[in-house]
Amino acid sequence: MRGVLGGLVAGTSRVAIVDLEAGLEHLSRGTARHVETLLIVGEPYFKSLETASRSFALAKDLGIASVRMVANKVRTPRDEETVREFAARHALPLAAVVPYDEAVVAADERGMALIEYEPAAPSVAAIRRLAEQLVPGA
Amino acid sequence: MKVAVAGKGGAGKTTIAGTLARVMADRGHRVVAIDDDSNPNLALTVGVDTASAARLPGIPRDMLEERPDAEGVKRLELAVPAEDFIDRFGVPVHDRLTLLVMGQPNHGGSG
Repeated sequence: MRGVLGGLVAGTSRVAIVDLEAGLEHLSRGTARHVETLLIVGEPYFKSLETASRSFALAKDLGIASVRMVANKVRTPRDEETVREFAARHALPLAAVVPYDEAVVAADERGMALIEYEPAAPSVAAIRRLAEQLVPGA
Repeated sequence: MKVAVAGKGGAGKTTIAGTLARVMADRGHRVVAIDDDSNPNLALTVGVDTASAARLPGIPRDMLEERPDAEGVKRLELAVPAEDFIDRFGVPVHDRLTLLVMGQPNHGGSG
């Protein structure tokens, strides 16, 4: 189905948001060519950040121009510091810091979309700022 | 804008992708949210209820065709323009937002 995904992303005039397979091994060069921004989601602990860092290198090899990290489930100022230090040390651009949010867990338990369960949740606010960064001003 | 979201299972990749798709639609963009994960659950985070998500069809085989790529390897590709594919196979979720679940093609009677 790899060729299908690339064709869809390339052929539509819509904003496309693709939820990829967990590993990047499945991402072909053909599909990657059509991706403008790859967001790599990681959590603020060492193993997760290391994984994100490896994905970052792989994505760069695939030729994706803009590869950026999104730190998720950030609980404390110390978590945020860990993420920012790691990103700076590995030259990973940090697109967003999304706080740990009970609303995500609660929405999941109820089988609801987070944005419907609690549109004003702090995590949603962080994702709104991310959207503003990706496509300013709309 | 074409955005792909990657990350280890459990990191929150799907919640972020789905919420980002909703936010983009709220901001006035026409958006297609594409679930390319082999364990698809983007439907929930964009706001499709679980019952409807469970009834999502496989991709009709006649919308795809095999073509050789540059190396001569046969690959499945779209047999119709992307917009037609999204209109016919996508699930409208919300104003301006359509969900596509890639999954496996539906082979129907062809086995």
